[in-house]
Amino acid sequence: MTLDFMTHQWIHPGLLLILGAWALPLLKGWGKRFAMLLLPALALTICLRMTPGIHGEVSFLGLDLVFGRVDKLSLVFSYVFSIMAFLGMVYALHLKDDAHHVTALTYAGAALGVTFAGDLLSLYVFWELMAISSALLVWQRREKSALAAGFRYLLVHIFGGLLLLAGTVLHFSQTGSLAFDNMESFAGSVGWTLILIAFLLNAAVPPLGAWLPDAYPEATVTGAVFMTAFTTKSAVYALIRGFPGTDLLIWLGAAMAVYGVVYAVLENDARRLLAYHIISQVGYMVCGVGIGTELALNGATAHAFSHIIYKALLFMGAGAVLQMTGLRKLSDMGGLYKTMPITLSLYMIGAFAISAVPLFSGFVSKSMVVSAAGYDERALIFLTLTLASAGTFLHTGLKLPYYMFFGKNSDVPGREPPANMLVAMGLAAIACLLIGVMGFWPELLYRCLPHPAEYVPYTVQHVSNTLGILGFTALGFFLLLKQLDPERKISLDTDWFYRRGSLAFVALTARPLARLEFRFVGEIYAFVMRRLVLGGASVLRAFDTHIVDFTAVGVGRLTQASSRILKTTVSGNAQYYGLIMMAGVLVLLVLVMLIR
Amino acid sequence: MNFLERQLEDPIRFGRLKRCFYGGLTAIVLAEIILPFIFHGHPHFWFEHIPAFGSLYGLASCVAIIVVSKFLGKKWLMRREDYYDS
Repeated sequence: MTLDFMTHQWIHPGLLLILGAWALPLLKGWGKRFAMLLLPALALTICLRMTPGIHGEVSFLGLDLVFGRVDKLSLVFSYVFSIMAFLGMVYALHLKDDAHHVTALTYAGAALGVTFAGDLLSLYVFWELMAISSALLVWQRREKSALAAGFRYLLVHIFGGLLLLAGTVLHFSQTGSLAFDNMESFAGSVGWTLILIAFLLNAAVPPLGAWLPDAYPEATVTGAVFMTAFTTKSAVYALIRGFPGTDLLIWLGAAMAVYGVVYAVLENDARRLLAYHIISQVGYMVCGVGIGTELALNGATAHAFSHIIYKALLFMGAGAVLQMTGLRKLSDMGGLYKTMPITLSLYMIGAFAISAVPLFSGFVSKSMVVSAAGYDERALIFLTLTLASAGTFLHTGLKLPYYMFFGKNSDVPGREPPANMLVAMGLAAIACLLIGVMGFWPELLYRCLPHPAEYVPYTVQHVSNTLGILGFTALGFFLLLKQLDPERKISLDTDWFYRRGSLAFVALTARPLARLEFRFVGEIYAFVMRRLVLGGASVLRAFDTHIVDFTAVGVGRLTQASSRILKTTVSGNAQYYGLIMMAGVLVLLVLVMLIR
Repeated sequence: MNFLERQLEDPIRFGRLKRCFYGGLTAIVLAEIILPFIFHGHPHFWFEHIPAFGSLYGLASCVAIIVVSKFLGKKWLMRREDYYDS
């Protein structure tokens, strides 16, 4: 095994974060705070100075692993991931919890690892590391609901990781290569399908996306800010890399954009509402990947970039309110504009960015995907995505700030959060504005995008059209305000199947199984123990000496014979094992029906 | 008392704010109708030629989202907060 992924030519920024994080518990006071900011700043510097090419090639057990595939696509994602790690660390600077800092940096480092992975196996390793470190960020809230949500989150992601591993193994056995590139030529194979499903699961595409609104609002205030950025967007990166132009993704993406909006209408928990809007926004990116033209892929990339920053800003705002008031439900909040005006102003910049208001970052990135649908002459997709942007403004820009900062309850006590949290929000807000204003110089803004595609965001038609959509969404909001009052309810999502459906399955099988155990296994056991074993023991004792000799030889022969038979069943073919497992489940179900 | 408090709690100033909002909406509709005659954009679809398409579609989307989501929520999706605890 050759180790050259940390030579003087190329340092892996993800490994820098993952390994460097362990220095934090050794440091104290200002030194620790300095290191917390230095690590992501260094990672960003490394990414900015990186030259395109293949670095960090490792030969391991005869497999060629590539830890550093550097090209325009991986670079742009690495920039935003390191910027995000920096913003998140500024936001968490006041926190005296080493465990949080180590897991958060590991999580960010793993996302960088995914970004630079040139083969499926190293991708898988970082993929799982992301799942584990982010689950720790949920558990660190140390509450009962967070513990349960963290376990559900981890189980779902381990399942997704196994799909990725199974897909990788099948793909490798078919093609003999682990390289992770455009997978188009393998479309339809089992390996291709499993890998695609694993990516869709992490991108929170319904019906595989319920883990996101389930877990994110349960994470710590600072942990949730990290979580909004890495898991879904690294999956978007993987989709852009492996599955551009896959038709299915167009429809999934558009459906996803609306799905998040519908649930956001019903949602009462502030951070869960924002989580549903992550699903909605990632829908634009997935749709862009599906359309697959150069403009659409550029749009998906650009939108991932601006989305990471404004979504972090929104979660920082809602997190600041949660931290300072202890409230997470909109129905309990209100009137905070008096005591938290700075938080409100910074939150609103994020809200305008996600709503694609002109001069803010969403306007120059989201519209690329919508326009790409236009150039591709997909009217229905165009209309669906436009409808979803009205919904985005309706919830993130109007409903949430209205009930959180204005609204009815005006006696909620609150004050501005610690300075470092405001600074982090301020930096994110500046980035949102900067990207939005840079749209006036498109050649400057879109220079780092993977494809050369010309796009001009600020046209008279586009601006007036967008203002019309947003303005009249606001009118609709104020007209129907009564309808939108948050209700003290929760909404069913596909997590029902593993939160209640699995209980029903257990309840269904538990009684027959207990009966089977009691009637048959127990009886047989009693019979064997009482009659045969105890009764036979005295007889056996007499023949003991003969039998010892006899068995020594017999067991040897038996093992030899049975291993010859076993050898034919243990083929190493995953599909046979799957079949045997399925057969087991079927036998269980048949037993249930017979015995009930 | 900060700037927002003054704007929202004084009825005269709040009235002025409301008039600004409606004035702004009118300006947007007019801009959407008139500007295409001056600047010729490149619309992708026939429906983008409808006068004030953005404004109409924005209002329709907003109402549709609220009505349809609330209907789905009431009939199917919404449950008591302790649904998963029981």
